Amino acid sequence: MRLLRSLISSLLVSGICIVSAASSWSFEDATLTVQSKGAGVGAGSKEKLSPSVPLPKPVSLGATDTLKLLLTTVDGKKAKRPHQAFLTLTDPTTSLEESFVLNVKESGKGKLDLTHKDLPIQFLTSSKPISASIVIGSFGSSSPYKSKVFDLNVSRDPNVPIVIPEKPVRYAAEKEIHHIFRADPRSPPRIITLVFAAGVVAALPVLLGVWATLGANVNHLSKALSSAPVSHALFFGSILAMEGIFFLYYTSWNLFQALPAATVVGSVAFLSGSRALSEVQERRLAGLR
Amino acid sequence: MRWLLSLLLLTLFGAVQAISSAGQRLLVVLEEHSEKEKYSVFLGDLESRGYHVTVDSPKSESLSLFKHGERAYDHVILLPGKSKGLGPALTANALLDFMKKEGNILVALSSEHPTPTSVHTVLLELDIHIPSDKGALVVDHFNYDSNSAAEKHDVLLLPFPKQLRPDVKNYFAGEGVIAVPRAVGQTLGNESPLLAPILRAPSTAYSYSPKDEAEIVEEPFAVGGQLTLVSSMQAHNSARLTVVGSAEMLQNAWFAEKATLNGKAVKTANRDFIAKVTAWTFKETGVLKIGKLIHYLNEGISKKMNTSLTVPENNPKIYRIKNDVAFQVEISEYADSHLIPFVPASQDALQLEFSMLSPFHRLNLTPLSQTTNSTIFGVSFTTPDQHGIFNFRINYRRPFLTNIDEKRQVTVRHFAHNEWPRSWQISGAWVWIGGIWVTVAGWIAFVAVWLWSAPTEKSVKKTQ
Repeated sequence: MRLLRSLISSLLVSGICIVSAASSWSFEDATLTVQSKGAGVGAGSKEKLSPSVPLPKPVSLGATDTLKLLLTTVDGKKAKRPHQAFLTLTDPTTSLEESFVLNVKESGKGKLDLTHKDLPIQFLTSSKPISASIVIGSFGSSSPYKSKVFDLNVSRDPNVPIVIPEKPVRYAAEKEIHHIFRADPRSPPRIITLVFAAGVVAALPVLLGVWATLGANVNHLSKALSSAPVSHALFFGSILAMEGIFFLYYTSWNLFQALPAATVVGSVAFLSGSRALSEVQERRLAGLR
Repeated sequence: MRWLLSLLLLTLFGAVQAISSAGQRLLVVLEEHSEKEKYSVFLGDLESRGYHVTVDSPKSESLSLFKHGERAYDHVILLPGKSKGLGPALTANALLDFMKKEGNILVALSSEHPTPTSVHTVLLELDIHIPSDKGALVVDHFNYDSNSAAEKHDVLLLPFPKQLRPDVKNYFAGEGVIAVPRAVGQTLGNESPLLAPILRAPSTAYSYSPKDEAEIVEEPFAVGGQLTLVSSMQAHNSARLTVVGSAEMLQNAWFAEKATLNGKAVKTANRDFIAKVTAWTFKETGVLKIGKLIHYLNEGISKKMNTSLTVPENNPKIYRIKNDVAFQVEISEYADSHLIPFVPASQDALQLEFSMLSPFHRLNLTPLSQTTNSTIFGVSFTTPDQHGIFNFRINYRRPFLTNIDEKRQVTVRHFAHNEWPRSWQISGAWVWIGGIWVTVAGWIAFVAVWLWSAPTEKSVKKTQ
């Protein structure tokens, strides 16, 4: 019985061993070369990649450079060809991903060439280094491998313009628009207005003063009123009334109120004016002007 | 008596509209009637949600999406079958016409069955691409079910989808894992804003053709997040089409199955996920309804909107330029069986455009209040200093929500002649006003002098 139990337990242990011994995918002998155009074979920077630790410094890829990745995929310790062998580039800000398939031979030797032409536009314009990870996986029980191996710094030739395609339409809230109003009409500073208005108003006393020095007076008022009182009063009154109508039209009346009143006042002025002016003519003929 | 009748009708109508906001008639196209058993839980769930399910074979003579020129069904589910042709009733044109009449379609693909030509054509028309090789399927060596696919890794176990964007509501969230067995991956065209992925493949997944690429994948159809397993399209008329990459997701076998993900035992939650996908496709969720749009001259008193349908909107027809105007709109969202107040996603905004050809104002609306069925959004603004015929326009289009495009026209007139400030209120005019009245006074003085001036001694001498 005890024997049986120990047998079972040993079987179980060995079973666990088998499970834990299920191999995992990885890679070996990985080299990363960045070769610029025109430089000879073997020129350019060369880095060794480790499956466990990413490169400390980002790898720079210029506009004319070619990035060459060589590696051997292994299942456990044995070199083997996996079903999936990708180099996945991830933009850290937008988390946009693009995978490049490694060309892996039966022997497990894989190769990948990468130039600017292969990269999507978002990677070319990215300001931060792009993280590159290697993904190796295949069918069966071997556990897959995915780990970041290096950072890629895409340097672009600033003199070569890059055509950025227009962003496709996506339904989202658009930018707010606030109508920009035309500026309100402005008046000059009040003090300037007041000075000039005072100047204009001061012209009236100056005018009256000049008339006075030239001998203008209203001494014949009593004479005129005694000879033609009604027509003089009406004529001068109608002229005042006409100005009053203008004032009311300016402040509150409309045209249909102002016109009849102006007609009435105008005809009074016409009728009384002819009388009043005849009286003035009489005075002139009498040598009193 | 009449009100009783209308109430009765209303409740009857309400009962009929209890579930989908777009009708109950559902056609399930299934070639082999014997396969119906596999989908029994799925179909049972749909029936319990109020759908009148008709299962028919594409070979059936009587099958037609239209009757008397109108839709015979509100929704269609296309399940995969053995044959490549779907017959004369389900041509690509018929399916597109069905969508043009606001019918919704759910297409299930399968890597084990050929995709029917008409479905392929419809998907291409909508800019949804599927691999052309027969049998192409999605595998992931990282997230597979080690119970059922220990060797082939073609049963993906994925978490529920996250929010598509921070400004898009998520109608497919849930707890658990979704099993996606032997899926046909899709890629969505970048140009169309009508397409949206519902369930994306994880970053390590890829689609390959087992026939040609058995050894190593060299030219995968699509990789990682660019591959979608369940994708959606919502047309301008809000008709919806959903592509489910794996028909097996709908089958009883995967609805609540024990699975193992990376050594951990999990239970698949396909039933929940599929319920959410069908609810969205058949317009049980993500359906917006616009109520009243009111606007009024803002005189400092905010008016409360009367949402009752018996009260008309009664909006002014005309405003003046530079008028302060308040605007309010009532929006509800249909959720499962009734209308609830609509709340946009946190980084989203409902916007009002005040436009004549192009928008002069585009303003974010803020929620002012909520009724039991709707949210009232509002904003106040000043009409632009440009007269013309303007529109208050709400054009709200977001992924997974039905489109709203509603407008109210108003005239914006310029200032009337008596609405300008009077000249004495303008300080710059004082000089000119002063000039006029000085002239008036001078004229009166001149008339007086002309009439009544007596000759002075000096002037008499001069004239002599």
